[in-house]
Amino acid sequence: MSPAEHDDGAPIAPGSPLARALDGFVAPDLPAGFADKVLAATATRPAPLPELRRTGSTGTVRGWRLGRRIAIGVVGFSALATAAAATGLLERVGLPVPSASKVWASITGDEPASKPAEAAAAVAAVPVDPAPAAFAPVRIEGPIDTPEELGEAFRRIDEVRKGRSEMRRQLLDQRITREKERRAAAGLPLPTPEEEARIRQRLEEARLRREGVLSERIEARREELRERVESGEALTREDIVRPIREEQRSLQQRQQLERLRRMSPEQRREAVRRLPPEERRALMEAWQQRRAQRLGREAPAGTSPVETGPQSAPEGTAEPDPSRTGTAEAEPPR
Amino acid sequence: MAAPMADDAALAARLAARDAQALREVIARHAGALNRIAYRMVGDAHEAEDIVQEACLRLWDHAPRLAQRHPAGTPAGAALRLSGWLKRVVTNLAIDRLRAGRRISGEEVPERADEAPLADSRIEVEQRDGATRALVLALPERQRAAIVLTYYEELPNAEAAEAMDMNIKAFESLLHRARASLRQAFAAQGEAQ
Repeated sequence: MSPAEHDDGAPIAPGSPLARALDGFVAPDLPAGFADKVLAATATRPAPLPELRRTGSTGTVRGWRLGRRIAIGVVGFSALATAAAATGLLERVGLPVPSASKVWASITGDEPASKPAEAAAAVAAVPVDPAPAAFAPVRIEGPIDTPEELGEAFRRIDEVRKGRSEMRRQLLDQRITREKERRAAAGLPLPTPEEEARIRQRLEEARLRREGVLSERIEARREELRERVESGEALTREDIVRPIREEQRSLQQRQQLERLRRMSPEQRREAVRRLPPEERRALMEAWQQRRAQRLGREAPAGTSPVETGPQSAPEGTAEPDPSRTGTAEAEPPR
Repeated sequence: MAAPMADDAALAARLAARDAQALREVIARHAGALNRIAYRMVGDAHEAEDIVQEACLRLWDHAPRLAQRHPAGTPAGAALRLSGWLKRVVTNLAIDRLRAGRRISGEEVPERADEAPLADSRIEVEQRDGATRALVLALPERQRAAIVLTYYEELPNAEAAEAMDMNIKAFESLLHRARASLRQAFAAQGEAQ
C-alpha cells in the first residue's frame, strides 16, 4: 500500500478504482443553437446597473478613510489637550505646562541672557507706568486698633493715591498729545508753546486745588479716625477704605459726565437712556450736586441750585467750568 | 488545462462594443468547459445550460467594465483571463442554485463525509442514475466544486481557489476534506455492493 492510500485527502491517482469510477460521470454536450439562444437573450437583456461610486475594497479608498480618521483623531486630541492646558486641568493633575516664552527660550537657547534683560526692562518700566501700583488694592487685615497700624494703613493709602495722581497726570499728557495730533492732521491751528504752557498751568492749578480740597477732607477724616483709635475703638477696613471708594466713584462719575458733555444732544440722550436705571439715577444726582455747587459759587444768593429738571440735565447745558468742577483734566487744549 | 488566451482583452473590448460575433467566439471557446462544470455541480443538463447561459450574459453585461480595467495592449489587459472569470461565475451560480434548492427542499447537506447509513440510503436511491454520479453529487456543494475544478477540469489549485473566491490554504484544506469524503463514500458504496 502506498502512503497516499493511507491519506484519505491525498490526490486521486489516475487509474485508481476511484478515478475510474469518477471518470464515469460524463457531462452531455450543450444543445445545438446554444450560442444563438444566448445572443437572442442579449437583445432582451436589461441594461446593467451603473457601477457603485465607492467600492470600499480598493486600497486608495481605504487609505483615505484611514487617513481621515487619523486626522480627525489628531485634531480632536489637540483640541482636548489645548482646552485642558488652557483651563489649568493639566497643572491640577501634576502635569507642568510650560509657557510659550519658556518653550521659545529652550528652542533658541538664550534663556540665561534674556533674564537680566527682562529684569532690567521691568525695573525701567516701574517709574514710566505707575498704573499697576495705582490699581493695587489696599489690603488691611484684621481690626486696626493702634496708632501704628492706622499710620501704616494711611501710608499705604497714600501710596495708592500717589500712583493714581501720577496716572492722571500721564493721561492728561496723552490726551493733550492726541488732541494736538488730531488738530495737526485736520489742519487746525495748533496752540503756541506759550498757550500750551498756560493751559497746562491752569490744569495743574485746578488739579492741585482739587487735591488740596480732597486732602483737607481726607485729613479731617483721618483725624477723626485717629481719635477713634486713641479712644480704644477698633476700626474695620470699611471705615478706612470707604472714603477712597467714594473718591473713586466720584472720579468715574466726573469722567462719565465729561464724556456726555462732549456728545451731541441726540447722542447724549441716547447714551443716558441706555444706562441702567440705578446708574442713571446716581449720575443725575452727581450732576445736580455738581451744578448746585457751581451755581452756589456763581449765582447770587437765594437762587435754587436745582431749578433745571434732571431729565434735561446732562444735555448740552452741562458745560462745566473746568476750574470748578474738576473735569479740567479731561479738557483738551483748544 | 486551458492555456491563457492572449487576446482576451481584445475580446473584452469587442464585447464592450457590443460585438455579437465576439460573444459567439467566447461561447465557442469556453461554453463546453463551463457546461461540464455546471453539469457536474448540479447534475441536471437543463439547469447546467441555464447556468452557462447566465454566465455568458453576465460577461456581456460586465464587458464594458472589464474592458475599462483591462485595456488591450497593457499589462492589465494581458492579465485578463476570461476563462477564469467565467468559471468563477459558473461555480458561484451553481453553488447558489444548490443552496437555493436546499432551502426549498429543507434538505441538509453535511459538511463532513456522509455517515455510512445516510450514504447508503442515498446511494440506493440514486443507483438508477449511476453510482459514479451519485458519488460526486453526494458531496457538499463546495467540496463538490473543488473536485470538479481540480479533478475533472484539471485546474491548478491556485486557479481553482480563485474560481471559488478562496485563498489557496483554505482551498487546499477544502480539497483535502473533499477527497476524504469522496473516498469514504466510495468505500461505503463498495461495501454496499
